[in-house]
Amino acid sequence: MPRLRVTRRLFWLVPLALLPLPLYLDQYRQYVVNLMLMYVPVGIGFNVVVGNLGLLAFSNVAFFGIGAYTSGVLALKLGVPWWLTILPAGLMGALAGCAAGIPALRGVRLFYLAIMTLAFGELLRWVYIRWVPVTGGSFGMSVPPPSVFGWTLETEGHKFYVFLVLVVLMVVLTDRVLRSRFGRAFMAIKDNELAAAAMGIPTDRYILLAFAWGGFVVGIGGSMYAALVGHVTPIAFDLTELILEFAVIMVGGLGSLLGSVIGAAVITAAPEFFREWLGFQELLFGLLIIAVILFLPRGLASLLARLHPVFVDRYYRD
Amino acid sequence: MLAVFLQLVVSGVATGMLYALVALSMTVGYRATTVVNFGHGDMVMAGAYAVFVFVGSGLPFAPALLLGLVVLFLFGLGTQRVLMRPIIAGPHLSLAMMALAIGYAVRGGARLEWGSEVTTLQRPYAQDAWMVGPVVFTTDDLVIATFVILLLLVLFLVFNVTPVGRLIRAVFQSQRGAALVGIDVHAFHGVMWGAGAALGAAGGVLLALIVPLSPDMGVWTLLRGFAAMTLGGFGSLHGAVIGGLILGVMEKLLGFYLSTVFIDITAYLITILVLLIRPSGLFGRQAAVRV
Repeated sequence: MPRLRVTRRLFWLVPLALLPLPLYLDQYRQYVVNLMLMYVPVGIGFNVVVGNLGLLAFSNVAFFGIGAYTSGVLALKLGVPWWLTILPAGLMGALAGCAAGIPALRGVRLFYLAIMTLAFGELLRWVYIRWVPVTGGSFGMSVPPPSVFGWTLETEGHKFYVFLVLVVLMVVLTDRVLRSRFGRAFMAIKDNELAAAAMGIPTDRYILLAFAWGGFVVGIGGSMYAALVGHVTPIAFDLTELILEFAVIMVGGLGSLLGSVIGAAVITAAPEFFREWLGFQELLFGLLIIAVILFLPRGLASLLARLHPVFVDRYYRD
Repeated sequence: MLAVFLQLVVSGVATGMLYALVALSMTVGYRATTVVNFGHGDMVMAGAYAVFVFVGSGLPFAPALLLGLVVLFLFGLGTQRVLMRPIIAGPHLSLAMMALAIGYAVRGGARLEWGSEVTTLQRPYAQDAWMVGPVVFTTDDLVIATFVILLLLVLFLVFNVTPVGRLIRAVFQSQRGAALVGIDVHAFHGVMWGAGAALGAAGGVLLALIVPLSPDMGVWTLLRGFAAMTLGGFGSLHGAVIGGLILGVMEKLLGFYLSTVFIDITAYLITILVLLIRPSGLFGRQAAVRV
């Protein structure tokens, strides 16, 4: 019998193995699984900017919110079916990404960039609250049930399949981006921006590109949020949400695509279990991030990488 | 019209004093360790709650305040020593995340305990108001202003006259150089981180005089402290104070003459505009890198 060669192609088995899942789960459990799927693009986009490009950008919730609101407004106010709002949500996310990336081009780095992107996110949240005719203000807006090609996604199981396709698409595309010269340029910029520029890499262009791609992927995650939760409110995009997203990439593994996926699966289920106790989630995530930084700086993905070389990241080096 | 303007400036300065104190406490930590404490807002919040607990246990206000500051000093020192020091040579992201995560855990703890109730810190004095010409002053304004000005004087002396100030400047310029001339840089970092937390706690107590306590007051203060620091120039002590005062007055003026909705975002707008147009702020050094 020929020995089975373990290659990265085997990763395709993961979504295939997940296919029968809706048969075994009740609506609520399926909702939690969908939530995990939704956080995969959110984590991936975040990780591209923070992990791969190495910039301290705290603007991820801004892209997430823009995506969700774009989907919501298009569906509710203009009656566009949900599946047609996915791409606009991604594009608006990319646009917000470019806006957040502009200060980086002006030479704003490190914690200056962090502070500025924090302010950017809060400013957007203020817009959601104040622009009542469009966003519905603090109470937010209810998004009509999502539909794809004229079919309405009635159960969580239906959403699951659509989400699965989107997530696989985002993972594969981001993998391509990171393995191309773009990804290598991100790596060079992360290691030493000056050296990268000296070697002729147009660092400005690549920084903007990383922000745009990150924003695009996260924006699509936002569109999934609108479809999944069905209600878009400003409070969903506050700093608490930002820490949740940080926990996803830190616990999963900074700069690791696999890590974003693992982080999304591990972290996002937690709030559902602890929602009774106010503050417990914050306490838990805070302690979890502290523990990861101290004891497992490359996240859970690094544990897998020790098991077998297929799990080793090809586009991240310490 | 002039009376209204003066009144706005006076109440703006009173709020600005608070921002100045918070920004100053962040600057102290930053100057000493060159690490920005993203969890600082939650130290401010924790300080207010600590004093609230001590007052609630029957202590008079002054000892409660003192005890609260000591607790926060020890907490800052402890977290710096146990959690920040092992990674101090690591990437900036880890340091920022560590500080953020500490603050997050503290906020979670506060919410677990007091999240579902409205708590206020009782003023230890009677609130009163006086007219000076056309302008109204309240006791709160005076207490806050006096307290902050006193602290400023003390800090100014510490930084510019005492040997501690020389130490701080030495470590800020070059940690390795400071270590070479025999300064225990690690111990110094811990103490200054603690001092920053205690100062922030003082700001939190003053803030609690005018707004109810809430676990989320930390985030609110953090962003305003950052705005004041950015405006004044990162790392500049007098910059932090002047930045805080300008921010306080700007909030009131924009809120009155444009629209009240601008009160909430003055700080964010200032942060973004300053970093885009003049990243070094009013009194800071070069902040941006050019590639």
